[in-house]
Amino acid sequence: ASSFAPRLGVDGLSALFLATLGLIAAPALVFSLRYLQPTPRGRLVGTLTSAFLLALALVVCARDPFTFLAGWELMTLLSGAVILVARGADREARQTVFSYLAVTHLGGVGTWVAILLLAQAEAIGNPAAIGSGSGLQAAIALAALLGMGTKAGVMPLHVWLPRAHPLAPAPVSALMSGVMIKVALYGLIRVLVEWDGVLPVWLGVVVLAVGALSAVGGVVYALFQHDLKRLLALHSIENVGIIVLGIGACLVLRARGADAWAAFAFAAALLHTVNHAVFKALLFLGAGVFERAVGSLEIDRLGGLLRRMPWAGGAFLVGAMAIAGLPPLNGFASEWLTLQALLHVAQYGDVADGVAGAIALAALGATAALAVFCFVKVVGLVLLGPPRTPAAAAAQEPPLPLRAALLFLAGTCVVLGAAPGLLFGTLVGLAPWAGAAPTHAGLQVPGTGSLPTVAIAVLLLGTTAALAVLRGRRSAAPAPTWACGQLVEPALRWTSAGFTKPLRLVLEAVLRPQREIAVRSEGGVLQEVSYSGHVPQLIDDRLYGPVTRFSLAAAGHARRLQSGSLGTYVAYLIALVLVLLAAARLGVIG
Amino acid sequence: MSIAAAVAGAVQVVGGVALAPLLPGLVQHWKARLQGRRGPTPLQPYRELRRLWGKSTVDPEGASVVYRLSPAVVAAAVLAAILIVPVAEAAPGWGVGHDALALAGLLALARFAVAASSWDVANGFALMGASRDLTLAVFVEATLVLALAVAALESGTTDLRGVVAGTAGTHAWASPALALGALAFALVVLAETGRQPVDNPDTHLELTMIHEGPLLEYAGRDLAYLQWAAAARHWLVLVLAAQIFLPHPHGVWWQLAILPIALVVLCAALALAETLVPKMRVLLVPRLLALGAVAALLGIAASIAGSS
Repeated sequence: ASSFAPRLGVDGLSALFLATLGLIAAPALVFSLRYLQPTPRGRLVGTLTSAFLLALALVVCARDPFTFLAGWELMTLLSGAVILVARGADREARQTVFSYLAVTHLGGVGTWVAILLLAQAEAIGNPAAIGSGSGLQAAIALAALLGMGTKAGVMPLHVWLPRAHPLAPAPVSALMSGVMIKVALYGLIRVLVEWDGVLPVWLGVVVLAVGALSAVGGVVYALFQHDLKRLLALHSIENVGIIVLGIGACLVLRARGADAWAAFAFAAALLHTVNHAVFKALLFLGAGVFERAVGSLEIDRLGGLLRRMPWAGGAFLVGAMAIAGLPPLNGFASEWLTLQALLHVAQYGDVADGVAGAIALAALGATAALAVFCFVKVVGLVLLGPPRTPAAAAAQEPPLPLRAALLFLAGTCVVLGAAPGLLFGTLVGLAPWAGAAPTHAGLQVPGTGSLPTVAIAVLLLGTTAALAVLRGRRSAAPAPTWACGQLVEPALRWTSAGFTKPLRLVLEAVLRPQREIAVRSEGGVLQEVSYSGHVPQLIDDRLYGPVTRFSLAAAGHARRLQSGSLGTYVAYLIALVLVLLAAARLGVIG
Repeated sequence: MSIAAAVAGAVQVVGGVALAPLLPGLVQHWKARLQGRRGPTPLQPYRELRRLWGKSTVDPEGASVVYRLSPAVVAAAVLAAILIVPVAEAAPGWGVGHDALALAGLLALARFAVAASSWDVANGFALMGASRDLTLAVFVEATLVLALAVAALESGTTDLRGVVAGTAGTHAWASPALALGALAFALVVLAETGRQPVDNPDTHLELTMIHEGPLLEYAGRDLAYLQWAAAARHWLVLVLAAQIFLPHPHGVWWQLAILPIALVVLCAALALAETLVPKMRVLLVPRLLALGAVAALLGIAASIAGSS
């Protein structure tokens, strides 16, 4: 076992995550300086946020197991503390932080088991120490998937994420969704790809299945949310699923011996990690701006914010297009790479894992289309159309520090979208089996048709400009939107629930939406109709409900052991000593 | 760049930009004949475009730059897609690559722009059409990706020029993989071109339209861009169907010679399918597309089993 000597160090992978941390933390801190000023306890929240960032850096730079685990725990505790302090420890915050800590620690058992087993086998830094295909390797991998997956927010261990992220103040949500989840994935990548040796094919397929489930489940549930921050938090689960799909593809390809494509899949996962950090932080900071300007985050009560806040709204639009995976922005490049990696899983595998790769490929294609659906809805309801409330009609452009943070992140999206190849070569080189790729601005990957991102961006922008000029200025007089001659009243406007209704009906059997319609009529004349609809999180009812009830029942039974009488406790101690003596005599212990 | 590649490039651009409106024109012409009417000539879409080009655009109240730029973005995305899809196994490099999976992203950009413009004008019909379009697009995208994957696995690359070369001749049809992929792609063609049983391109009733909805608030040159883009989508999917999922010969010159014949045959097949098959309920269309996706998965399994 290693001695208790804390060591810190930075290698290639740590440097990448540190750079991402810095890239996101800089604008988030500039944002929070101005954003937290008028809030009560703003200084304390700011201090705790900075400590949280240091804890994240500690995890990424840790070079011995104890520092890693210490940083891991501090990450969770400090973010919980920030939520409590920012919300003044009201009831909702207390319950949410409790469930956050509970779920992450219950799942986090896996992290401890994985890291300590690796340390005991002295496999950290020496992947040959664990036999390939052995039970120990599989145990470590599954424990890491459980523990680090809970912290990253993969389904079905994600329940804390949509509860905790919306409660934190906007810049802290941006850091939690943008960086903390990524650091959890850093741990997962270290264990699965680097420390645990070459994993067998079935483990890669398990990782693929978990990734596909998170990706599709995250975005489907995100579609039916009408609170902007909760929607963004559920969408983070989708993107974590895409990254895990890339990791799974890397594992299967490595197990099949296709080292070059395993390195490309690894680079795809890392590229999506960086991209998601950038655009998710941008979207959360934008949500903070809208909350500050309008006072509410219900997307059905916003509207028309692009005309009221051109800079902030424009940056949010760029972030929404990036997360929807549209060319020429950065989300498209990393999703394209992940699609290619999954296609090559089908190419290099045999029938079973090839079909698994193909199913994952279809899941990713469907996820991309669902993300477009979700963010058209968000953009349409928040930024476009007429303002839906007087507060939205009176919204003002945010002050300069907030705008600067948003525009910096939007510019990063554009730059990463135009030249992902510059990062791609470095990322392929980070794979422990040392792949290599020449550096171009676009993505030139052998075996594909290549993605010259600069040329595509130039072509799209140039053609759009030319066609806009050709469109001319001749236009009819301004007139209201055509609604068969009626005026478009606020009561007739489309809402989030209406826009997503076709998908809700198609997926009815899976989602089990609940609907309540109450009709009140007096004397045969209809007075009032009220409608409420809700898409429940099935996992809450089917998995967490029974588990919670069982745990509470078991705790109730165990409470009988606490009789309160001193004599009983002394008897327990004597029994324990006798059992230990017997075990030592029989040779079970020591 | 050889002469063959240069000629193929010329056919690609001229066909995609200038000859694309002829394809829906042919389909409408034959559909009318099959229904016992005389119908318009196949050149009718050109007359439509010329008429629209001379009219002024509309300015709905409250519309922002998103409404004004959307048609240009849609046309630009579809133009980039035309440059990606080659018409034979050799094509000049237009600089945008030839990747099959990049095509899906560009079509997604066009869909996003159209749906965003319908939110901008807050037109009820447009939003209804946009919401159905986006719902069906989830299943169309999955099926499209799987069908292209079948073709890519059969030819060993996702470069569309390599795919055309790899699926040429008769050896690719020895295993059922490509036939299953063709079945899946046929459903994608119906969905992308907006033909029955997925959508009815002839009406503008809110109950039956999906792709026509968001076009309602546009007029003049904007509408010309959007109608050209719809015609160009016909070109894209029919060229892919002809040069990948139908039997085609080796060699650039033979492929170029057979392309017009294949396109005409496919237009006739589309007209026949539209006449014979009634429109499905919108919410049942995903089941049809799921059938295509399952067929493509079986094709992938057959392809892997055949090659290993």
